[in-house]
Amino acid sequence: MKTDSKREETEMIQVSFQLNGEPVQLTVSPVMRAVDLIRNELGQTGTKISCGIGRCGACSILLNGRLAVSCLTLAYQLEGISVETVEGLSDQSAIHPIQEAFLEEGGFQCGYCTPGMVMAAKCLLDSNPKPSEAAIQEAFSGNLCRCTGYGGIIRSVQRACSS
Amino acid sequence: MEKKIRPDGREKVTGRLKYLTDLTFPEMLWAKVLRSAYPHARILSLSTEKARKLPGVRAIITHEDVPALNGFGIVTPDQPVLCKDVVRYVGDALAAVAADSIEIAARALELIEVHYEPLPVLDSPEKALAKSAPFLHPGGNVLHRAGFQKGDIQAAFSQCAKIVEETYEVPRQLHAYMETEGGVIVPEKDGSLTVYVGTQHGFKDRFQLSRILGMPEEKIRIISSPMGGSFGGKDELNIQPYGALLALATGRPVKIHQTRQESMRSSIKRHPMKITMKTGVDQTGRLRAHQTTITADTGAYATLGPAILDFAVEHACGPYIIDAVDTKGLSVFTNNGVSGEFRGFGGNQITFALEGQMDRLAAAIGMDALELRRLNIRRKEDPGPLGQRIAPTNGALEVLESAARVYHAKKQHMPKRSTWKRTGTGLAVTMHGGGLGFGRMDPAGGRLSLTENGKVEIAFGFEEAGQGILAVIEAVTTEALGCKKEDLSIVIGDTAFVPSSGSTTASRGTSMVWHSLQRLKGPFIKQLLQGAAQRTGIEEEELSIGPGGIWKEGRCMLSFESLAAGKEPIVVSTQFDFPVSPDPIDSAHFLYTYSGVVAQVEVDLLTGKIKVTELHQSTAAGPVVNELGYRGQIEGGGVMALGYTLMEDVVMKEGQYATENLDSYLIPGIGDVPFQLELEAIETLPLEDHYGPRGVGEIGTVAVAPAVANAIYDAIGFRVSCLPVKPEAVLQSMERGILHENRF
Repeated sequence: MKTDSKREETEMIQVSFQLNGEPVQLTVSPVMRAVDLIRNELGQTGTKISCGIGRCGACSILLNGRLAVSCLTLAYQLEGISVETVEGLSDQSAIHPIQEAFLEEGGFQCGYCTPGMVMAAKCLLDSNPKPSEAAIQEAFSGNLCRCTGYGGIIRSVQRACSS
Repeated sequence: MEKKIRPDGREKVTGRLKYLTDLTFPEMLWAKVLRSAYPHARILSLSTEKARKLPGVRAIITHEDVPALNGFGIVTPDQPVLCKDVVRYVGDALAAVAADSIEIAARALELIEVHYEPLPVLDSPEKALAKSAPFLHPGGNVLHRAGFQKGDIQAAFSQCAKIVEETYEVPRQLHAYMETEGGVIVPEKDGSLTVYVGTQHGFKDRFQLSRILGMPEEKIRIISSPMGGSFGGKDELNIQPYGALLALATGRPVKIHQTRQESMRSSIKRHPMKITMKTGVDQTGRLRAHQTTITADTGAYATLGPAILDFAVEHACGPYIIDAVDTKGLSVFTNNGVSGEFRGFGGNQITFALEGQMDRLAAAIGMDALELRRLNIRRKEDPGPLGQRIAPTNGALEVLESAARVYHAKKQHMPKRSTWKRTGTGLAVTMHGGGLGFGRMDPAGGRLSLTENGKVEIAFGFEEAGQGILAVIEAVTTEALGCKKEDLSIVIGDTAFVPSSGSTTASRGTSMVWHSLQRLKGPFIKQLLQGAAQRTGIEEEELSIGPGGIWKEGRCMLSFESLAAGKEPIVVSTQFDFPVSPDPIDSAHFLYTYSGVVAQVEVDLLTGKIKVTELHQSTAAGPVVNELGYRGQIEGGGVMALGYTLMEDVVMKEGQYATENLDSYLIPGIGDVPFQLELEAIETLPLEDHYGPRGVGEIGTVAVAPAVANAIYDAIGFRVSCLPVKPEAVLQSMERGILHENRF
């Protein structure tokens, strides 16, 4: 995250993308991470930051429907992409069936990994509505949870696909 | 019990919940802390001159800028906020910078010039205890000694048929809460300070900050919930002093959110311990003598090191009744990372050793290991491990019998072994004290009010770190009063609005919420019904509290809103202490929880890799308050303990961290754990037990490691004495030819 302030001033980049269906246009530093853009510039703090090296998945988002870690994605790489964050899954009146399943099965405790888990679940179930045990393990292999021991998360995913 | 959705659930699954590290304020600055480059060194000079010239830097603080006490620590404030002369570990802070951006703050740290004179690095208790070792603190390198003696140990050993002696070594474990330390500290217009930083005891943080800042406690407000995990790790102060000093220096809100690397470097960890146990049995399998020495690497500063050692000493003979006991513990300062509070609090380390001994002893006398435990385990009226009277409990035997049933069932359905795979089953039990123990200030309390707007407000000085205290408060309060959850307003985690409840630690939250409601509900209901009787003209005796308000014969006669309208709020408070033993034995506990764990493992003979395929936990902790919360604590605790057993080790080399992030420090992922975790909650308490539900925040972590270790022995004949069990150790054991011949 060390930056050269001079270079930053001279080489700012324009980036346009869709965030949860809404167009966004911003001027960013070439070294700004997507997670910082989402959290700090756009104030969407559902996407979390934990390890910063793409290992824990707390910052998981969907880029054109594919799961990605926003700490290893640079802001300018979002150009032209459809970005989905946890905020895009619900509004004040209704929450997504995956979120409902997490609620009912206790698929979270502290909740800090949960937005990433929910995005990983969405990515999985969008492409595979009846995932096997192995498919679930594969889909969440990049997302760490320190609270639940994964039992509640697995039950949530199973509930989400049976509903 | 029905599954209840947590009060904080919807906000969490939607990502709408604002954690304290998510907050931003107008004019907010970003800050970073400069930590020591050396694990032990004299500071020859410290210059911030160049850093101050960097555009965008708003303030830099060093030891000169600490107005009052330059030290912190929950019990003994021996850790400098900002070091002046000496650094004792690589997490020691020397300076902190507030700047317009995080990048500028990071750059400024690089411009701070520190000249060190490296000093000898005491990177093990052995080195720290050597005669030639320099003193890390004025009192020397021993932080604490603790012990317990009962009976004539030498005479008892001389009468034993078999004696087993083993030295067990357990690693430094990282809490690995997903949200690293951080938050925002805001200087208010009236000169007060609001600290939005997670902790497990807001009032304690307020006290500690007050003596650092030289500021009255009333001028400091701590907002400490919610947290993205803590597990004991955020109980001690972390970044609060730096944020506070910088906020006061700049007059602007200051945000600090440590990166994972910064967190690894500065955070406390679980104590590494070396435990030697010598245990003897007679011909019949009765435990006669048990001698334990514990050496704990407590790192550079005290924090809760003494209490953790005391806890380990207390639990050295666990749930077993042994004639002669001799336990000695030593907690030693080193230049390694600071060890401190962590879920299990010394119990996990000692239980690994003790339950290893039980299986070794059983094998030594040719007895079934379950039978040996059954013969020696405590019964209902037996005293506690330090000889103190405790709440009568059958918990130990109940979890043992439950685990025994599971164990036998699993043994009958062992997977077929393949050429290169061996499976094994192991069992372990434990008991675990709740609360802080005798002679430790352990006050609790709560407040119940009917507010002006007709809400039943229930307030506690607890914090929500993920453990589910909000769900517990909701369940216990609605049950005690008979109202519905929508009637409630739960207030926690803000010193401006909560009563003192003591710390959110030591599995005490659930217990203390329940005890509070037992005290609060009578007077509160009475006042409500009196008010309702006046308002409606109905006799008080005919009224009761129900969903939404005051009821008579199945009908709601008066809503809480109407009852509250135009009246002074009804407020009932309680203050009391966590129950302790009537016997004045320092640190002894009175309420215990129990766990029996059965683990099944699969050992790959080619790679040495161990996979835990099944994990069943039987827990006796009184009634279950919230099923999802209880299950989550036991399952999650179990998996955290699997990490401790098989994967996790904060490696330090010459006082420097070799593991800096979650790529080299591995915690269990979804593929590392059994797909289905099993548990049985034993909810019964003796009839005379009026202590209600116990907390289960820790118990799920305590006896997993020895159960897995015993399963590994069952699979391949390798006696594990060192955690984590690495594949290399498994392969070496096979090279030494200790694979069970009879299992082929």
